[in-house]
Amino acid sequence: MIHTGVLIIGAGPAGLCAAITAGGAGADTLVLERSHEPGGQLVKQTHMFFGSEKQHAAARGFDISAILLNKISKLENVRIITNAAVLGAYDDGVWTADIGGRYEKIRPETVVVSTGASEKNLPFPGNDLPGIYGAGAVQTLMNQYGVKPAERVVMLGAGNIGLIVSYQLIQAGVKVLAVVEGSPRIGGYLVHAAKLRRMGVPILTAHSVKAAHGESGLESVTVWGLDQNWQGIPGTERAFKADTLCVSVGLSPLTELLWQAGAKMAFVPALGGYVPYRDDNLRTSINNVFAAGDSGGVEEASSAMVEGSLAGLGAAEQLGLNIPNIEDKKQELLRQLEALRQGDAAERLRDGRAATRLHIKGGCKKC
Amino acid sequence: MLINTGIPTKEQVLSVFPPAERLEKGPVAVIECFQRIPCNPCQTACRRGAIKPFEDISDLPVIDGDKCNGCGLCVSMCPGLAIMVVDMSYSKDKALVKLPYEFAPLPKEGDTVTALDREGKPVCDAEVIKVLNTAAMDKTPVVSLAVDKEFIYGVRHFGSAGVPPAPYNEVSSQPDDISIICRCNDIDIKQLHDLIAQGFTSIDEIKRISRLGMGPCQGRNCVPLVLAELSCAMGKNVSEISPGTYRPVTRSVSLAAIAAYSESKETLNE
Repeated sequence: MIHTGVLIIGAGPAGLCAAITAGGAGADTLVLERSHEPGGQLVKQTHMFFGSEKQHAAARGFDISAILLNKISKLENVRIITNAAVLGAYDDGVWTADIGGRYEKIRPETVVVSTGASEKNLPFPGNDLPGIYGAGAVQTLMNQYGVKPAERVVMLGAGNIGLIVSYQLIQAGVKVLAVVEGSPRIGGYLVHAAKLRRMGVPILTAHSVKAAHGESGLESVTVWGLDQNWQGIPGTERAFKADTLCVSVGLSPLTELLWQAGAKMAFVPALGGYVPYRDDNLRTSINNVFAAGDSGGVEEASSAMVEGSLAGLGAAEQLGLNIPNIEDKKQELLRQLEALRQGDAAERLRDGRAATRLHIKGGCKKC
Repeated sequence: MLINTGIPTKEQVLSVFPPAERLEKGPVAVIECFQRIPCNPCQTACRRGAIKPFEDISDLPVIDGDKCNGCGLCVSMCPGLAIMVVDMSYSKDKALVKLPYEFAPLPKEGDTVTALDREGKPVCDAEVIKVLNTAAMDKTPVVSLAVDKEFIYGVRHFGSAGVPPAPYNEVSSQPDDISIICRCNDIDIKQLHDLIAQGFTSIDEIKRISRLGMGPCQGRNCVPLVLAELSCAMGKNVSEISPGTYRPVTRSVSLAAIAAYSESKETLNE
C-alpha cells in the first residue's frame, strides 16, 4: 500500500501545475502518468499558445512542458512515475494502479483527477479502414515520434485541433486536401483558419464525410454538403483521393475514475460530455477528490494549467498545511480562469461551467 | 463571412490597415485579429506601447499608428500569425511586406517567390529582401517581400498556390461498407439499431447482450456514439440516458499482476 498526501492522476498541463502548487505548499505528492513521458498533450504541441504571460502565451507547448517539469524537479516532495496507469477508485478510499506492470494499491489523502480527454469518433461507412485516425493520434505520430504520417490528408473538423493539426501536417510536408466541417461555422480560432486558407487549403463548412473507400487501406473519401438538419444532400458529393482521413470532431472528458469514485456528474455538450460538478476549489462532490483540466470539461491547455494550479492548492489545503496567502492565490487563479473564458468562442462553455458549479457546505459522501 | 470561410472580407482587411497618410510615412504593423479570443502577447510584446492597453484579455488589438514604428517584434509573437508589417516608404514603386513564415526550407534573400492572397491565390511575383530568424523569434521567422505598391492589400503569404477542391459529383465509388460503432468487438451501426429495436435501450443492457464497450478501450470510443444513437432512437436527451456503470479496471491488467499483489497480503493489513 502506497500512502501519499496528494495523488495526481495524469501528468498533462493540469496535473503538472497541480503538482507544482501542491508540492510547493509542502504536500507529499505522487503523480502517476500512464504514458512513458510526462507532459500529456503539451509534448506534441509545436504551436504557440494563446492566453497571457501567466499561462506562458506565445511559448510553444513542448517548451511549456519543459518549464513545468523544471519547476517540479526542484520540489523534493513531488514524485512523478511514468508508465503508471490508475486502474480503479474504490469505496474505501483505496485507488489501484498498474505501475510498470506491478499492481499497486494507493491510499491518498486527497486526489486530483487530471486524466484529460479522448478523441471522439464518428460513424460513417468505411470508418474502420486503416488510414483513418484521430487528428490527435496523427499529431502524436508526427510531432512526438517524428513519423511523417501521410501524404494526402482530408481533415474532418474545423475546431482548433483540426485546424492546428492541418497546419502542422503542411509544415511536415503533407498535402492537406480539405478541412471538412459539419457546422456552417468554423469552431476553432479564426486566425488558425485564416492561416490555412492563405495556403490554399479549402475549408468546407456545412459538409461532412459520406463514406470512406479503399481495399486494404484508405484510398478516397467522399464528402457531401449538409442541410440545416445536418442531413447529407444528394448531388453535392465530391471525392478526394487521400491516404489519410483525420477525425477531429471533439473530445470526451476521461471520467471513468470520477464515476467510480462516485462523483456527481452531468451531461454538458459544450464541455464534451459527462463532467463532474465542482466547487470553486475544483473539488467534486466527493470530499477529497478534485478534477482539473479536460477531465473536468474540455477546454484549452491554458485553462487546464490554471485549473491544475487551483486544484493542487485545494488538495494541499485539505491536508491541513499552512499555505500563506492561500485565499489571494485562489482568487488570482479564479480571475485568470474567468479571463480565459471570456471571448466570442466561449459563450456555451461559460453556460456549461455555471450549470455544473457545485456549492458544498460541510458534509459529503465519504465522511 | 470569415466565420464560415476563414477568409476575412475586404472590408475587414481595410478596417485594420492604417490610413494612406500613415502608410506613406513608413513601416507599420497590420493586425488581422477579428475575433475576441483570450490572447494578449502582441500587446505585452510591444515596447513602444503602440497597441492600446487591453481592459480584458479578449480585447481586439488596436494600433496607434503614431507610436508604431513597424519594428515587427509583435509579428513572431502572435500565436495566430495574424500580424504583418507594411512599409510603403521602401522605394518609389515597391512596398515591403514582412510576413511570418514557419516552413522549411526558408527562402533566401534575392529569391523570387509567388505572393499569395488570403485565399491562397497568386497575386504577383515578389522578391525576398530579408529573412530574419533569431533565437528570440522562437521558430517564427519573418520574411520581407518587395511587392508593387498596388498589391499591399492583397498579399498575405507566399509559396506555391493551393489546389482547388475537387469538383462536385466526381465520386470514385459507391460506398457499401458498414459503419463500425465498437471497434474492439466489431459491432456495426446496423447491429446496434437491431438491438435497440429489440428493446435493449440502455448502455448496460447493450453491453451485456453484445459485449460493446467491454474491449480494451472500455467504451471510450463507442459509448458516446451509442448514447447519440439511443438519444435519436428514443427521442430522449442524452442527459436522460445513463452512460452505464463504470467499474475498475480502466484498462487491461494481467491476472498475474493482481495475483502477485494478493500474495503480499501481510503488508496490506499493516
